[in-house]
Amino acid sequence: MTTELHTLSGAYALDALTAEEAEQFRRHLEACTACRVEVRELRQAAATMGASEAVPPPAYLKARVLTAVDRAPQLPPRAVGGNVVQVAPHRWGRWLLMTAAAVVLIVGGVIGVSRIGDDATKDQSLLAADVAKVFQADDAHKATMPTKNGGTISVATSPELGEMAVDTTKLAPLDSGHVYQLWAIHRGEASSVGLLEPAKGAAMEMPPADTEVAITVEPVGGSPRPTTNPIMQVNPSQV
Amino acid sequence: MPDPELRLVPSPGPADVDDLMRQAARGDSHAFEMLYDELSPAVYGLARRVVRDPARAEDVTQEVFLDVWRKATRFEGDRGKAKTWVMTIAHRRAVDAVRRSEAAKRQDHRAAPDEVSHDEPADALIEAEEYGAVRDCLETLTDLQLESVRMAYFNGYTYGEVATLLEKPLPTIKTRMRDGLIRLRDCLEGAR
Repeated sequence: MTTELHTLSGAYALDALTAEEAEQFRRHLEACTACRVEVRELRQAAATMGASEAVPPPAYLKARVLTAVDRAPQLPPRAVGGNVVQVAPHRWGRWLLMTAAAVVLIVGGVIGVSRIGDDATKDQSLLAADVAKVFQADDAHKATMPTKNGGTISVATSPELGEMAVDTTKLAPLDSGHVYQLWAIHRGEASSVGLLEPAKGAAMEMPPADTEVAITVEPVGGSPRPTTNPIMQVNPSQV
Repeated sequence: MPDPELRLVPSPGPADVDDLMRQAARGDSHAFEMLYDELSPAVYGLARRVVRDPARAEDVTQEVFLDVWRKATRFEGDRGKAKTWVMTIAHRRAVDAVRRSEAAKRQDHRAAPDEVSHDEPADALIEAEEYGAVRDCLETLTDLQLESVRMAYFNGYTYGEVATLLEKPLPTIKTRMRDGLIRLRDCLEGAR
């Protein structure tokens, strides 16, 4: 499959794949350093070919572009470090809107809380108390499992509290270009819950029984949908 | 093969463009304006080739530069040149525009694909610094490599559509695109 996919690098560099194929190839790129280098080089060759067709645009276009630019804010640079990074708003399902309300971080004994949403700091103490309860709950189910990239992750759920939490401190370290992203998988559709900082962790409302939680490795800034295979995937209801 | 007689004189352009991009990333709109002056002929020229219609090419050009301005903060210089980055965005935007309009057209009737044109109005062409090297290097491709690469890149066809138009098996077109680009890459590197 790799050889088969690998030969798509030319078509990919030419934007000659369908959206589905391009998505599939991007996932392949994540796992293939040599392919990324090749795509970069082929894109440069294609770009040079494109640039050789230069035609001066009409003069009025410059004023139009600069006016538009003048009104447009620049994206913030991708943050280095940080807690949970806000990702694009969900548009998938009710459950996600609920989970988005509370993602809780645990920092080496000190419990910090952040929400993925508009107001990041509201109700911190309240949520912190909730997450502490997940880990210490009398009815807590706990499981530790290996991840596919060589680390481990612990999951705790409390049916009584209706919450789950993950300890991500034992995940394999990533290079500075990648982050762990948390997903809810419902009927094969992955919806982003948020980005994790591996040294910390997360807790959230217990998803319904038919929803799984997964973590993938994504480029810094996160992705609108998973671009790599999950390093772990679990149905919290079965922990 | 690098030929000393044909070697391109290193232009101050590319290095400057990278610097300008970094300045634009810090919100420097004057640097961005200079970036526009440097790159807009390449962007507009490519958009013209792909979408054909001048008015739509202008729209694509505007979208591209707006995108570049917004995302300049995320341009990673170690992962390639700023010009390549901008041209990659430009090509994607142009292809998206052409595929959207093709999809809209197909809803009306199954139109025969436009004839493949390799020649844009000569009066509009200016001699881009890349022009000579690219022309020479494209001559090193086989006919099928050249057709496949150009139809995909300049007409915005998927490799499946190219295979249909050229009446060749999919895997053949797929590999010709890759082999053709590799040959182009190697030749351009030699010409530098």
